[in-house]
Amino acid sequence: MVTVAQKKIKDKAPLVAPAKLNIWLFMLASSMLFSALVSAFIVHQPDAKAKATWTMFNLPTYFLFSLIISTLSSITMYLAFKNAKNDELIKNRLYLVVTLALGLLFCVSQYLGWNELVAMKLTFVNPRPEDISASYVWMITAVHVVHVLGGIILLAVGIFKSFKLEIHKKQLTFMSVTHTYWHFVGLLWFILYLFLYFAR
Amino acid sequence: MSTASLHSEHHTHDHHDHHHKESFISKYVFSMDHKMISKQFLITGIIMGILGMTMSMLFRLQLAWPDEQFGILQTLLGKWAVDGKLDPNFYMGLVTIHGTIMVFYVLTAGLSGTFSNLLIPLQVGARDMASPFMNMLSYWFFFMSSVVLTISVFIETGPASGGWTVYPPLSALEKAMPGSGLGMTLWLVAIALFIVSSLLGGINYISTVLNMRTKGMSMNRMPLTIWAFFFTAVLGLLSFPVLLGAALFLIFDRSFGTSFYLSDIYLEGVGALENIGGSPILYQHLFWFLGHPEVYIILMPALGITSEVISTNARKPIFGYTAMIISLMGISFLSFIVWGHHMFITGMNPFLGSVFMILTLIIAVPSAVKVFNYLTTLWRGNLRFNPAMLFSIGLVSFFISGGLTGIYLGNAALDIQLHDSYFVVAHFHLVMGSAAIFGMFAGIYHWFPKMYGRMLNQNLGYFHFWLTFIAAYLVFFPMHFMGLAGVPRRYYMFTLVKDFEIWGDTNKLITVAALVGGFAQLLFLYNFFYSMFRGKKATQNPWGSNTLEWSTPVEHLHGNWPGEIPTVYRGPYEYSRPDREEDFFPQYVPDESAPEVLEPVKTKSAPQTEEVKETEESTVFFAAIKKVFGLS
Repeated sequence: MVTVAQKKIKDKAPLVAPAKLNIWLFMLASSMLFSALVSAFIVHQPDAKAKATWTMFNLPTYFLFSLIISTLSSITMYLAFKNAKNDELIKNRLYLVVTLALGLLFCVSQYLGWNELVAMKLTFVNPRPEDISASYVWMITAVHVVHVLGGIILLAVGIFKSFKLEIHKKQLTFMSVTHTYWHFVGLLWFILYLFLYFAR
Repeated sequence: MSTASLHSEHHTHDHHDHHHKESFISKYVFSMDHKMISKQFLITGIIMGILGMTMSMLFRLQLAWPDEQFGILQTLLGKWAVDGKLDPNFYMGLVTIHGTIMVFYVLTAGLSGTFSNLLIPLQVGARDMASPFMNMLSYWFFFMSSVVLTISVFIETGPASGGWTVYPPLSALEKAMPGSGLGMTLWLVAIALFIVSSLLGGINYISTVLNMRTKGMSMNRMPLTIWAFFFTAVLGLLSFPVLLGAALFLIFDRSFGTSFYLSDIYLEGVGALENIGGSPILYQHLFWFLGHPEVYIILMPALGITSEVISTNARKPIFGYTAMIISLMGISFLSFIVWGHHMFITGMNPFLGSVFMILTLIIAVPSAVKVFNYLTTLWRGNLRFNPAMLFSIGLVSFFISGGLTGIYLGNAALDIQLHDSYFVVAHFHLVMGSAAIFGMFAGIYHWFPKMYGRMLNQNLGYFHFWLTFIAAYLVFFPMHFMGLAGVPRRYYMFTLVKDFEIWGDTNKLITVAALVGGFAQLLFLYNFFYSMFRGKKATQNPWGSNTLEWSTPVEHLHGNWPGEIPTVYRGPYEYSRPDREEDFFPQYVPDESAPEVLEPVKTKSAPQTEEVKETEESTVFFAAIKKVFGLS
C-alpha cells in the first residue's frame, strides 16, 4: 500500500479508519444471517404447530449462564478499551486476557447447554419428528458460537499486539474493532436468548 | 509495509524510500492492486462465461433436434451422450449449471466484481480499496468457487441438476436424482465460497465509496456507475447472508439428517422417509429473499455503466441525474419486498399474493424513470456510435422489451398460466441476461483502454454488437409465444407431447440463432485477447470523458495517481457546456473563468480535521455516516 507519508503527498484522509467501517458492515451482513435463521424459525412455527410437530421445551440453564458470562465479558472488554485509550497498557492487557478467558468460558457454557439438550433427547438431528424446534435452537446457537470464535481470534490477536506494544493511545483501530465486535456478539446472544426464550 | 512500486515497465524509485520489487506472484497472482484484481475477475468471468455459453449450445442442440444423433457429442461428452444423443440427466445438469454460472459467476462476480474493482477507486479518487487484502481474498474465494463448480461438471454422477434455484426436496435427497448426490454437495460448497467472496467484495465497495472519496467528491458528484455499484454492494451485503442461511439449512438436511425442509416424502415407492415437520416452501422464501435482490445485483451495475457510456457518447449531461439515483434507490428498496412473486403458485395466501403483486408492479415506476432518462439523454445528442454506445443502447432496448413482460409475470393471476413456462425464460433472459451482458460488454469496450492501455478493434466490435443483438432477439423473442402457449421450461424434449410438436421449427430457429450468437462471441474473444497485446495504443482520455479515471496515466501504477489525487470541482456529466471550447469539462479541471470555485470546493462532506478523534465507537460511526450524507 502506498501511504501518504511515503509519498509526501497530502491526500484527503479517510473519514474513519477503513477497518472500523468494515467491521460495521460485516456486523450488518451477519445480522442478516441471523435474521434469516430467526425468520425461518418464525415462519416455520405456526405450520409445524398446526401439524403438532413442534415441541415446546425449556431452554437449558447453561444458556442463561452464557448470557451472564457474555455480559461480564462485555464489561471487561469495555474496561480493556478504556484503559487502552488512557495508555494504561498493563491493565489493558489484563482485561483483554480476562475477556478472552470469559469468551472461552462462554463457549464451554454453550457446550454444556448443548449437553443439556442432548440429555433432554433434543438432538440436532431429531429422531422424533416433533423436535424440529430443537434443530432450530441448535442451528442458531451453533452459528452464534462460530461468531464468538471469530471474536476470540480477534481477542487473541489483540493480546498478541498488546504484548508487542502495538496497542496504545495513538494506535487504537484494532482495539476498537475488537471492542465493537465483542459487544456485537454479546448483544447478539442477548437478543437470541430472549428470542428463543419467548418464541420457542 | 510498502509495495509502492510502479506497475509499468519503467520502475521509478524517486517517490519513496524503501521499495519492494514485485515478484510475478505478488503482481499477477496474489495481487492486492484493485486494477489487477478487476482484470482477474474479468478473465475468470469470461472463462466461466465461455463454459456457460457452451452448455447452452449443447442443450439448444438437443431442443432443436431431439432425435438427431451428433457424433461429435459422444466424442466430447462420452457417456453423457451415448450414440450422440444427450443424456436426459446431463441435460438437466447443463440447464442447472448454465443458470448458476451465468447468474452468479458471470453476471454477479464477472460484472460487478470487474467494474466495481476497476472503477470505484478510480472514479471516487482513492489510491486503492479500503482493504486491499480483503479484496484479494474476495477474488481468490471466487476463484476457488469457480474451480469447485467446474469440477462438479466432470464427476461421474453429474453436476447438480435441480435447476439453478436448487429447490428441496429434489436437491435435498441424494436419491432424488443422480445430480443430487456429490454434484449437489459441490454446488453448495461452491455457492458458500461464492457468498464469502461476494461479502468480502461488497464490504470493500461500500466502505470505499463512503469513506475514501477525494477532495470535493461529495456523494452528489459521484458518477452514476459508482452509485449503481454502491447500491449493488448494499443489496449483496444484505441478501447473500440470507442465501447462506438457506444453504446451511440445506446442507444440514442433506448431510446430517435434519428436517428443516423435508416432510412426508415418498421415495422409490417404499414408504415415507423419516423426515417429518419440515417445510420446502421455507427454502423458497429464503432463496428468493436473496434471489430477487440478486437480479438487481446483476442488472444495476449494467445500468450504471450504461448511464456513464450513454452520457459520454451522446456528449450531453445525463438527463435527471438525481432521478437516476432515486430510482436506483427505489429499485434497491423494492427488491427486498417482492420475493413472493416467484412463489405465487406455492399455495400462498391470495391476499399475500396481491400484496406482492402490487409491490412488484411498483418497480415499473423507477425502471420507467430510468428508461425515460436514457432516451431523453440520447434525444438530440451528438451521438457517437462506437461499440460501447451501441451496446448501451442495446441494453436500453432489452430493458424495455424484457421489462414489459415483467408486468405480466408480476401479476398473480396471469402467473398461474405463465409460471415456469418459456415466457419466464424469455422475460429474464432479455431483461436480466441480455441487458446485463450488454452492459458488461459496454463496460468492456468503454474501459478496455483503461484496463489494458490499448483500444479494442472497432469494426470487430460492430460485428460483435449486431450479430449478438439480432441473435439475442431471435433466440429469446419467440420464447414468449411458446410460453403463452404453455410450453414448460427445463423439459428435455417436446416431441412426446403432441401439442408442443408445432414448436419444433421455432426451436430450430432459436438454436440456429443461438449458434450465430455464440459465433459472435468468438469475434469478441479474438478481439479481446488480440487487442490486449497488439491493439492500438490508447491515449489518456480516448472518449473525451469527464470522470476521474481518465486523469490517471495510461500505464498503471500502484496508487493510481503519480502525484496528489486530483480535486473534484463539479459533477461528472458536464458535456457540451456552451461556455466551454471543448465539449467536455472534466471533473478534475478547475474553472478558471469562475473565481468562486478556484479554491478547492468546501462541501459539507469535506473533513475539517485530518483524523477523526477516537471517541466512543458508536459516535464515530454515526458521525461518519452523518458526514458522508452531509447531515452534520
